[in-house]
Amino acid sequence: MSGSIAIEIRDLVKQYRGNEKPSVDGVSLNIPEGRIFGLLGPNGAGKTTMIRILCGLLDPSAGTVEIGGYSLKSELSEIKSIIGVVPQEIALYSTLTARENLRVFGGILGLKGKLLRDRMEEQLTLFGLDKYPRMQVGRYSGGMKRRLNLIAGMMHRPRILFLDEPTVGVDVQSKNVIIENLFEINRGGTTIVYTSHYLEEAEHLCSYLAILDEGRIITRGSLSEIRKIHKTDSKLEDIFLELTGKNLRD
Amino acid sequence: MRTLLHLIYKDYLVIVRDRAGLAMLFLMPLALVLIMTGMQDNTFKSINESGIKLILLNQDIDSLGTAIEKEIVASNFFSVHNEINGHQPTEPEVREAVAAGKFQIGLVIPPDATRKIRTQVAKNVDMIFSGDTLSKQAADSVIIDLFVDPTTKNSLRSTLQGSIREYASRIESRIVFNELTREINKRMMVPVANLNQMQQQAVFYREEYVARNDRTAIPNSTQHNVPAYTLFAMFFIVIPFASAMIREREDGSLARLLTMPCSYSTVLFSKITVYLVVCYLQFASIILMGIWLFPLMGLPALSVTGKMPVLTMLALAAALAAIGYGIAVGTLARTHQQAAIFAAISVVILAAIGGIWVPVFIMPPFLRHLSMLSPLNWGLNGFYDILLRNAGVGEVIANCIRLLVFAACCLLVALYVNRTRKEYF
Repeated sequence: MSGSIAIEIRDLVKQYRGNEKPSVDGVSLNIPEGRIFGLLGPNGAGKTTMIRILCGLLDPSAGTVEIGGYSLKSELSEIKSIIGVVPQEIALYSTLTARENLRVFGGILGLKGKLLRDRMEEQLTLFGLDKYPRMQVGRYSGGMKRRLNLIAGMMHRPRILFLDEPTVGVDVQSKNVIIENLFEINRGGTTIVYTSHYLEEAEHLCSYLAILDEGRIITRGSLSEIRKIHKTDSKLEDIFLELTGKNLRD
Repeated sequence: MRTLLHLIYKDYLVIVRDRAGLAMLFLMPLALVLIMTGMQDNTFKSINESGIKLILLNQDIDSLGTAIEKEIVASNFFSVHNEINGHQPTEPEVREAVAAGKFQIGLVIPPDATRKIRTQVAKNVDMIFSGDTLSKQAADSVIIDLFVDPTTKNSLRSTLQGSIREYASRIESRIVFNELTREINKRMMVPVANLNQMQQQAVFYREEYVARNDRTAIPNSTQHNVPAYTLFAMFFIVIPFASAMIREREDGSLARLLTMPCSYSTVLFSKITVYLVVCYLQFASIILMGIWLFPLMGLPALSVTGKMPVLTMLALAAALAAIGYGIAVGTLARTHQQAAIFAAISVVILAAIGGIWVPVFIMPPFLRHLSMLSPLNWGLNGFYDILLRNAGVGEVIANCIRLLVFAACCLLVALYVNRTRKEYF
């Protein structure tokens, strides 16, 4: 697996109707298999649009995408069976319990019977959510919801996992559990595509990075490669500010 | 198929956990049918059985006054009172009591009314026998005052006035015939029998509610209200249905589902299945209430003998139309507020022009034409055809097809908008 390409993007463009500039403007990118890839950028840079396109939720205006060797345009159902998505929103049914949510999502993701039950219990225990079997998710704390949101997207152990701001708004303890588990999943062979505004977290987690601004990739590579390109020993945050500027973004 | 079963399980849980939504889906329609049937049944009874409160001041104390009083009491139309606060009222007191709403009708028969009629008739008979038919004599009229509570409906008022006039005129003609007989007997050598004995009604009316297949249909408030409010309840699922769609879209769970091996049409199909069951449960609960609970509450029982298969077929078409409309509203509306307000108001409008509250035939021509566009009107006509006209599948199929075409159009609009918008987050 290692060395092959998990995601291949060629000249990807997304132009929303009514917008002057494209949100994604001719992005070409190869994400190697088995990496934790960080897609970084200021607000409105086009990160979420790119993730939505890669998950099949948005059609690109131009360009081609291959995920796991399947064409996004013609083999979306095959792609859906090998990816996992953890959206930025708490995309769970708030009146259902954690187990009920996982039974629904796990079942749709192809898990069944004993495997589904074992995987549910394993993940709930791992993320410290096994103590509240009857509590509806709507009554969970923010951190608990965020952890369950993560489990629902990765409990089927996908080949490629998309994470859109998975640790936003959670306490340090929850963040640690999430990060540790992401490392664990990655060690199992899962390629992770991750977006975040927490640059320290990205620096710690990602083995490969790209910084996106105004729909274009302005730099890419491992952190050491990026430092080499920009001839600096600074932290990722300083490089980010230098490349994207200090002006406020909408 | 497995995906569909998981989605159905999820939609089922979402519905049963929403207690307020369940109350809206089941208890409110049941309460509505019960209240409306009870109200209309009571109105029906108030005309025919229970009696309208009437205060009668009979100052005549002779044939006319006594006969009118007797006729009114015998009609069972009125609850007749002769006293206010334990004493016989004066004319102004009768007027005041009706104006205050204590009685719906006040009837004042003036003193000497019979004597005046007799005198008048005698003069007329004299004129006839003297051969003078040209001269006009000043008539000593009898004026019966009829006071009506202004809150009484026009239709009811007209009915009451018509009835009282009919009694008065019947009695008046009886006096005329009596006087005529007396005068003839006075002038003729051979006595004649009382002309009143000749008063035989020549024209009779036979009234029957007719239905197909030589059956007699018995319309009552239950047969009218159960189908009307069953349809209304079915269409009210548009609100929770559209809200569920928007909630799923807003919280990102729809987007999550669509990143899984699961299509949008499967998501919709699951909802259609679950809400179809809900509609059938609504239908069944209202029908069962009509059959078993209404008689226990003194209301007419719903009669569905031999009609259930065709009723079930029409209910399926109506439920699919309601669900289709819910899908369209849930797709077109961008927020909960938009969906809730639009759905509630549009269903009420469709119900109003569809004839749920007011029969279509009494609407102005413009609204009558408009009513033909309301799916509730198609459904209601279908239910009336089955319950009141004993219609079979052949007679109801046209309305079923209209409802199904409406459902299909709503679904196509929703799928088209969804495809062009592609807004799952």
